[in-house]
Amino acid sequence: MNTKGGRTNTMPKSAREKIKEQQAAARARDRRKRMVTYVTAGVVAVAAVGAGWWYSAMNSKSEQAAAQLAPVTIQPDGSIAMAQAGVNSPVVDIYEDFQCPACQELERVSGPTFKNLALEGKAKVVYHPITIFSQEPTRSNSLRAANAARCITEGKQWMAFHDLLFRNQPVETETGFTPDQLKEWGKEAGVTAPDFDACVTGEKNRAAQDAYSQRVIADQKIDHTPTVKLNGTEIDNGVVFSPRQLRDEITKAAK
Amino acid sequence: MTASPFLLSRKATVTIPWVTTVARLVLGGVLIVAGGLKIGNPADSVVAVKAYQLLPDSIAIAVGYALPILEIVVGLLLVVGLLTRVAGVIAGLLMFAFVFGIAWAWANGLRIDCGCFGGGGQLGAGQEPTYLLDIVRDFGLMLLGVWAVSFPPGRFALDGALGIEGGARDDEEDQ
Repeated sequence: MNTKGGRTNTMPKSAREKIKEQQAAARARDRRKRMVTYVTAGVVAVAAVGAGWWYSAMNSKSEQAAAQLAPVTIQPDGSIAMAQAGVNSPVVDIYEDFQCPACQELERVSGPTFKNLALEGKAKVVYHPITIFSQEPTRSNSLRAANAARCITEGKQWMAFHDLLFRNQPVETETGFTPDQLKEWGKEAGVTAPDFDACVTGEKNRAAQDAYSQRVIADQKIDHTPTVKLNGTEIDNGVVFSPRQLRDEITKAAK
Repeated sequence: MTASPFLLSRKATVTIPWVTTVARLVLGGVLIVAGGLKIGNPADSVVAVKAYQLLPDSIAIAVGYALPILEIVVGLLLVVGLLTRVAGVIAGLLMFAFVFGIAWAWANGLRIDCGCFGGGGQLGAGQEPTYLLDIVRDFGLMLLGVWAVSFPPGRFALDGALGIEGGARDDEEDQ
């Protein structure tokens, strides 16, 4: 085979090699093409995720809260109104529970928008701090916090305290909003009511808060917090948590 | 890889790609639904992630915004069978993370809704957590991911049509 094949194979061998080379080149081309397809699909997928993420983040981007507040009035029924003098509509009602995590998220995302709109005279914003929880420890946490807020007699102090409560919201499985914490945050909020500490410790307004909550929940048909109403009609959650859309909706109602 | 087709019975070589297709469609379909229900309410998604008390707030917020769109994109890739292997790995890791998160919540006595299909992770009045059911479901979905990664891309897959995965190997071996 060696001597015989040596001669007869010379010609076909080079042809075979040529074919082999061509096949190798075709395979390499194919592989390159596949690689390009693969990378392209990957880049498109990653870009889609990135774009969606960016859109979500932008849609939820908070406004910068102005340094001042519109006048804040503590009303006899336990709600708190924030509006420029003479601005009576549109009315934005916020039903929230100091212990509810979604309410904390609402305050984080859209809290500055409510304050800014009131300051700009574009809406009258009314806070209704209710206790919606029926189980412990969340129910007592909520009642203690709301009781303490009711111990405050001045509007701006109430708002500062309200913001501190949401910023320091305890987790739902533990006892939180302890009297000591509440007194501490009262100091931080500049509360001047002379009997504040005793009012917090003695939970003077607990029963009133409970009765108020039950009445509001029944009257306004509240089955979740936060509930935000514009002139009595609930605003869709997607809008409430998008400061830009929220501002548009409320501004539109002002016209 | 050359040897494996010969080790498998003919029946298996016919069945396996179809099983992969079913795994892709189920896992991808669930991901699309889960992401779709959440994507309109990023706030809920953020609250749900925070409810697990597993991540620091700033990271939980980023995850809450990214998760719905990630689920949808990975789900779509699985359904059309594009980048099957990578999509399967990500989907499997997601499911593993969910199983871990729910088990964590359970072990720590949290009373939460898993937030898997929207909702802010809060239980309604009188609702009980369904941890075991959630874990079993997500673990099963994770296994589907493992299957799709092991035997990509299955029938009716763009990967096969484009020769990216599976189909490509066969071509080369035929030559």
